[in-house]
Amino acid sequence: MTVLEGRGLTRRFGGLVAVHQVDIQVRQGEVLGLFGPNGAGKTTLFNLLAGAIPPSEGQVYLEGREVTHLPAYRRAQLGLARTFQIVQPFRSLTALENVLVALARDSFRRLLPLGRLATPERQAKALALLEQVGIADFAHRNVSQVPLGVLKRLEVARALALEPKVLLLDEPLAGLTFKEAEEVLGVVTALRGRIAVVLVEHHVHLALPVCDRALVLDRGTVIAQGGPDAVRSDPRVIQVYLGEEDAPA
Amino acid sequence: MYVVTILELLLIYALLTLSLNLVVGLAGQVNLGHAAFFGIGAYAGGTLLKAGAPFPVALAAGAAASTALGLVLGAVSLRLRGDYLAIATIGFNFAVVAALLYTPYFGGAYGLSGIPRGLAPSTYLLALLATFGLAVFIHERVQNSESGYAFVALRDSEVAAEALGLNVNRFKLVAFALSTALAGVAGVFYAAYIGTLRPEDFGFPLSVTLMAMLVVGGMGGLWGPILGAFLLGGFAQAFAFVHNYQAVLYGLLLALVMRYRPQGILGRVS
Amino acid sequence: MDLFTLTALLGDGLAVGSIYALTALGLTLVYGLLRVLHVAHAGVYAVGAYAGWWAFQKTGSFGLALGTGAVAGALLGLFLEAWFYRPLLSRPPHVALIGSIGLFLAVGDLLRILFGPYQQSLPALAPAPVVGMLTAPQLVVVGATAVLLLGVYFVVEQTRLGLGWRAMAQDALTAAALGVDLPLMSRLAFLAASLLAGLAGVLVGAYYNQVYPTMGAVLAYKGLAIVVLGGLGNLWGTVAAALLLGLLESLAVAYLGHRFPPEGVAFVALILVLLFRPQGLFSRARR
Repeated sequence: MTVLEGRGLTRRFGGLVAVHQVDIQVRQGEVLGLFGPNGAGKTTLFNLLAGAIPPSEGQVYLEGREVTHLPAYRRAQLGLARTFQIVQPFRSLTALENVLVALARDSFRRLLPLGRLATPERQAKALALLEQVGIADFAHRNVSQVPLGVLKRLEVARALALEPKVLLLDEPLAGLTFKEAEEVLGVVTALRGRIAVVLVEHHVHLALPVCDRALVLDRGTVIAQGGPDAVRSDPRVIQVYLGEEDAPA
Repeated sequence: MYVVTILELLLIYALLTLSLNLVVGLAGQVNLGHAAFFGIGAYAGGTLLKAGAPFPVALAAGAAASTALGLVLGAVSLRLRGDYLAIATIGFNFAVVAALLYTPYFGGAYGLSGIPRGLAPSTYLLALLATFGLAVFIHERVQNSESGYAFVALRDSEVAAEALGLNVNRFKLVAFALSTALAGVAGVFYAAYIGTLRPEDFGFPLSVTLMAMLVVGGMGGLWGPILGAFLLGGFAQAFAFVHNYQAVLYGLLLALVMRYRPQGILGRVS
Repeated sequence: MDLFTLTALLGDGLAVGSIYALTALGLTLVYGLLRVLHVAHAGVYAVGAYAGWWAFQKTGSFGLALGTGAVAGALLGLFLEAWFYRPLLSRPPHVALIGSIGLFLAVGDLLRILFGPYQQSLPALAPAPVVGMLTAPQLVVVGATAVLLLGVYFVVEQTRLGLGWRAMAQDALTAAALGVDLPLMSRLAFLAASLLAGLAGVLVGAYYNQVYPTMGAVLAYKGLAIVVLGGLGNLWGTVAAALLLGLLESLAVAYLGHRFPPEGVAFVALILVLLFRPQGLFSRARR
């Protein structure tokens, strides 16, 4: 069943058409990769789905419900979680507290919630999430003193705390060492089959293997979609990546 | 007796710095026009006290008037970032002072005078202490609760807070409302304390003084703002000569603290 | 409208606008490069005015007064850049802003302590009418400003320094990667801005025949309004906004008289712009 859908998504920036009439469906439990050379529009498409920018044309549906004009925080409340390419931790807080904030989302619907943030129930859940992404050791460390690989996984833990129907990952491997990238990919693989994941990635050769399906964009339109092997050997895909460092092969 | 009078003024300053801390220290929103809300509360409450209203009614009116305008500034703040917001708050301060100056009902340039205390001196002191205690309680309660963390989250990264389901705009408005309500209450106490209000008493220089108290004491926590209020306020009162050199001393103090210890005396380096 | 009224309005409006332009230009230049509101700039302006006054007292030469004002302003500006602003670049922006406000207050009050709270006179320009109601002081101020602005234009658009500035304002990291010496750009920007502010201070002192400690205050607040009106970081937008404001204030005094203080014009304009077009009147929508 389709968890997230974009229909006829178009986004213009002045005279530039970044995304043109893109249809995209994300099914429950699948990992969908969004790829394409620089400037292909994958980040714009990602932001349209996440609600960070409004589309010039087209609609976005979350579990069948139209969310095109809903702001980002409403989409989060409805089950759409996202991470950021440039990590956005809450620097005054510890890793655990960062996740606790995400877990308190029901309380945050109230005008002035005065309950305790770190309830035993939430603490247990938060620790479990940190373990799930493999950074439980950093739970009580202040986030401003922690390496990038940990911060990237913290983003994922925070997003998972929302118990989302779909998780959008914005270039999760950017800036990571090979080992750190492996750890993040391990987290994504473990999520397969459980929730829908959409990941935008520049490092195609690293990310393609963990995807169930892939969509390749070039200059705002989809030029190929399908399973990893099909996309990898698609001549059009090879052509747009020719000369690029991160070719699929 | 003189000591009590000074203490009362310092308590009023502390109420103001605590209120400013809610919006600036906790929620991370710039506000360089906070004196305006102090003034609105003072004028609203003062007018009612003059008309013979009981003290609690005047307090409510002061708080309500300040909060209403606080929400206006809050709404404006939603559309502006950083430096633009700073300038807007300064402009707001000037606008309020100008409005008070040109409104004959509030006495115009001559101000509002003859405001009665509305309470017996010992009752006034008790009421002020009780209000201060309540403010401390509210401050602590908010800071250590889910709301406090929501404010910190939106201060540290608005986009991330939004992405986690936090209605950032609504929380900003709540922060402004709480902050200005408390400032308005402080204003009413001040009106009763001093008896005469003039518009220029609530101008940008006072906003700067309040900001100085907050940053010198240390933003974010509970004791920083209180320390700043008592320290700078007390200093100004204790040493009469300071009056003559107040601007240069405060100015230098602000510049030096920002240059060498921006987190203030009790603040934490984030 | 007869010639006299027209020239009176134009003359005063352009003269005042020119002063605004000279000071606001520096303010917006610094903002564009360092993203910091240099409120203390108004203090540099006042120091320049006093330096020029002192020099005129000693020598009776307006030229020397201008030079002294410029140099004094420049020295103070360079000092502030090195001691205060550059070390605080890595801190959150409110730190420099609040400190700058403190510096401005301190400088203003220091001038009061050193020279007394009363006005000093700087009778370097005799207010003799030249054309209609245009007076000699007005022509001097506008003329001097025109020359200086031409100089700035030349530096900004035609020299490598200007190119460095524009690059740094647009994207400091990339500029640095391409070899632009950021600290040098910053220092030279402060030098230019403070020179202009110092000169403006002396010009104003001579124009109104008044030099007083709080003369920077009005400029500090209006300066903020002008740079927002023109677009923060937009050099020529700021100049245009400054001249526009000078003319509007002149009109306000003429037609609204006592009912509306001319100070209010900057204010109302600021509020309107912040509400409806925060990027400024002359900027493209790119906040």
